[in-house]
Amino acid sequence: MWRIIATQDGHLTVGSRSVKFLISVLAFGVLLLGYLYPIQGTNPTTTAHFTGFVTEWITLVTPVIGILLGYNAVVSERESGSLKLSLVLPHSRKDILLGKLLGRTVPLVTGLGAALILAGALVVYPFGELLLLNFAVFVLVAICYAILWVSIGLAVSISVSSKRRALVSGFAIPTVFVYGLHTIERAVRVGLSSTGVTSGELPLGVQFVFGMTPGRGFTRVVDGLTDPAVSVDGPWYLSEWTGLLAIGIWTVVPLGVGYRRFKRSDLH
Amino acid sequence: MVAIKATRLSKRYNTVVALDRIDLTVNKGETFGFLGPNGAGKSTFINILLDLVKPSDGEVSILGNNCQDEGVKVRNKIGVLPEGYSVFDRLTGRQHIEYAIRSKDADDNPIEILDRVGIREAADRKASEYSKGMAQRLVLGMALVGSPELLVLDEPTSGLDPNGAAEMRDILREENERGATIFFSSHILEQVEAVCDRVGILQNGELVTVDTITNLRSSLGGGTKLLIETGTDVNGSLDTVRGLSDVETAIENDETIEVTCTDDAKMDVIVALHDAGVDVVNFRTEEASLEDMFVEYTAGGQ
Repeated sequence: MWRIIATQDGHLTVGSRSVKFLISVLAFGVLLLGYLYPIQGTNPTTTAHFTGFVTEWITLVTPVIGILLGYNAVVSERESGSLKLSLVLPHSRKDILLGKLLGRTVPLVTGLGAALILAGALVVYPFGELLLLNFAVFVLVAICYAILWVSIGLAVSISVSSKRRALVSGFAIPTVFVYGLHTIERAVRVGLSSTGVTSGELPLGVQFVFGMTPGRGFTRVVDGLTDPAVSVDGPWYLSEWTGLLAIGIWTVVPLGVGYRRFKRSDLH
Repeated sequence: MVAIKATRLSKRYNTVVALDRIDLTVNKGETFGFLGPNGAGKSTFINILLDLVKPSDGEVSILGNNCQDEGVKVRNKIGVLPEGYSVFDRLTGRQHIEYAIRSKDADDNPIEILDRVGIREAADRKASEYSKGMAQRLVLGMALVGSPELLVLDEPTSGLDPNGAAEMRDILREENERGATIFFSSHILEQVEAVCDRVGILQNGELVTVDTITNLRSSLGGGTKLLIETGTDVNGSLDTVRGLSDVETAIENDETIEVTCTDDAKMDVIVALHDAGVDVVNFRTEEASLEDMFVEYTAGGQ
């Protein structure tokens, strides 16, 4: 039955002008970078090297779009009462969750995937080199990163009972874990060294914590798995594989926790 | 055969008891009215039936399936008009019905359903532009999809004008004749009186009584209401009247005393008032309506 929810929600999502606009911004940026990279980038021009070029854009823009797609998916219907119309039909709360996840990720994944493939074509034509496997892995990982953010947005949406709260927590998460991460890291470093706990370098445990945030995890995977010219240095727990693990954890755990709350809650 | 069976169903919110050990059986094929003032717990009960709210204690099943553990199965067999819903912003009326049809894997014709609930001409308008009454008709239409065995309707006539309410009652009758069980809540008594086989009266989370309307009437001992106009203040004499045998209730209302009592007790009431020094300017009698029974049952709980 989640398919019905997904179809319904997908139609509504694609029909929304703000969603179209946001996905277009993401796609346009990717295409622009695909166009600029062969002109600006260093030789040789390969799709593998291009991934490093486009990663920052994806790392920065996808969280906002994913959260925007996810954060009001359920809570706005819960607040208005239209969620009831779905739940009195033979749909379980799990159907709602899966349907919404699919309905919201498909437009984003389609837009991002198509833009990346077109950008890849711009890189390859006329003088570039295509490393098919690496590039396919990159597109896949980028898509997973996009799903991760929709999933976090949705996790927030099913955990709270008002849109305002969803908005606040929805945007607090990427602010802390992506945009503000560098600042927080610096503050921790300064704090620790000024109190004499460490001298400059962050303790390994703290490095691991920072390394397991979604953006850092994603960047490591891209560096380690898609560009043969770049390798990920450092201890094993800061390898591309723990990066993959980070993406997996952030996609599944918040949503799972949110679902447990949602399943038990009373919907008036 | 049993359509709804609740056993010691309870719901507590922190310290507030919204439902207190409700035992209720609704039989297949009957039209059951769930009556009570606002805040009595009617919607809480219905929300538990629909698994929107989890019970604190006890359990309830519909057509043999537990409402919490087998919610999807239950909701496949029933049609629901909930309270406090809102329509989907960007969908038309027709798309709402189509959504219900897909969800129930039914093969109804959306236009026929919209026609039946009287909003066919608004089929292709966005439902967000509908009036409250039209939205209510639309969601009733969604409930009718798939000819369900049981209709659960929470305050179905709210937002409807008197004509709309009459049409709603006609549809409920038709559905009942088709063989569907009807369970609906209301705080408006004439709705219940007009269509129900049996009623349950809920007050402060407790089921005060479950009976047929005929039995409710006769349990009032003849069911006479005495309206006595007095010229003066009645002061303490109400208690004297209440103390008489065969007097059910006595309420003062704007220099009029309303007494429900048996037929035989009428003269005793007048005499008692006279002895207490109250001027009886005029008096008349009325047959007790369901409204009086309702007031009596619910006021008794306070």
